[in-house]
Amino acid sequence: MNLVSESLSLDDYEQAVELFFERGWTDGLPVVLPARKRVEALIAHVGRDPQESLGPVPPKGGQATIEKLAINAVMGGCRPEHFPVVLAAMEAMMDPAHNLNGVSQTTHMCVSLIIVNGPIARELGFNSRDGVFGNGYRANAAVGRAVRLALWNLGGAVPWDTDKSTLSHPGEYAFCIAEEEEDNPWQPLHVERGCDPGSDAVTVFACEGPHSVFCYGTPAEMLHVLADSMCSLGNNNMHVMGQTLVTLNPLNAEEFAKRGWSKQDVRLYLWEHARRPLSDVRACGVVHEQFRKMERDAGRYPLRYDLDNPTTRLPVTQAPEDIHIVVAGGRSYFAAVLPGWGGFGGFAVTRPVRRPGR
Amino acid sequence: MEILVPVWPAAETARPPKTRPRLLAGATIALVDDNLDIPFTTRLEALLGERHGAKVERFVKPSGTAPSPRDLIDGAAGAHAAIVGIGL
Repeated sequence: MNLVSESLSLDDYEQAVELFFERGWTDGLPVVLPARKRVEALIAHVGRDPQESLGPVPPKGGQATIEKLAINAVMGGCRPEHFPVVLAAMEAMMDPAHNLNGVSQTTHMCVSLIIVNGPIARELGFNSRDGVFGNGYRANAAVGRAVRLALWNLGGAVPWDTDKSTLSHPGEYAFCIAEEEEDNPWQPLHVERGCDPGSDAVTVFACEGPHSVFCYGTPAEMLHVLADSMCSLGNNNMHVMGQTLVTLNPLNAEEFAKRGWSKQDVRLYLWEHARRPLSDVRACGVVHEQFRKMERDAGRYPLRYDLDNPTTRLPVTQAPEDIHIVVAGGRSYFAAVLPGWGGFGGFAVTRPVRRPGR
Repeated sequence: MEILVPVWPAAETARPPKTRPRLLAGATIALVDDNLDIPFTTRLEALLGERHGAKVERFVKPSGTAPSPRDLIDGAAGAHAAIVGIGL
């Protein structure tokens, strides 16, 4: 296989691992060494030209060639069958709608979450149930870290350099879940977003970490607590809209469905009720106000909300469709909300997973 | 063991920097407004002109969270020096 990356000949394992730290090629954790044979196995699995590029990775613009992505995927712990998911996630992140350049460099703490849908999630062992945002599952961890390492090594998204996140996010190491599709009464996320039922897809959305929502009871009770959790004054959505994500656990979804609530019913209710009066929002200060003005001047903050009337009730997103709902986690009392970056970007983008031979 | 390098090779040639003006007085300064902290940027523009005698050309980015358009960069490059990356 014709690979063009510079190579190093190293016989000492410890020395090789340390070299990746010395050269700044890893994110603070040791890596699986990207030996030529391992890298070639990933590229052979997808059957694509190693020099095909998905484009320059912002902010520094290293090319996302299949070869470079395979090297970083090996480093993250991927097996060949994980690689198509990594490629789909990178394609989604590099869609201009996601504004990866901004997501990688903002002072905000958002990180692009990868959500895997379709049969591939179960076949490769992605976790969608108990502990979904946590550790313990190779597929979630390896795909999540492979993407982060690609952004590090090709995009140069490095803290104290171009990554200006002031608090950042544990998901900078890996931030990848699967949606629970079997124990789920509703259409999965990727089908809602236009993919065929039974197909494989990845959706990326830049967001904060999961905020726990103690969510149990009747639909009215669950909606009450979800709506309140979504419109916290500390999140960007409350000031500059954008998009937000709600994860309901399978028991929550089942309770809604049993009482005749579709996912769209839940979404519409949340959009109508996750609101704060302008007087509350204004009390946060002039900087917040300035952002709203900037967004309105840029045409991203709808004119229909009167920003001079203190009783105006402001929603968290421009439209109900900007509230993404995913079913994941253990059957329990807990749901989560993951606020987005606001109107600046990080918006959800879905891409099919191109599996070889299908 | 042959290990492959994960980074993209650095560009071989960087654009040579301009000679910095010795004084602000009389110099043309491009002020790239990130469209984020507008009062701060406006105050900075006033100070550069009124207190230091610089001729300020202000370039406003369409979005503070996306790269500057090419024509803005080219316009700012015509000044003796540029102030960029103000942010918030």
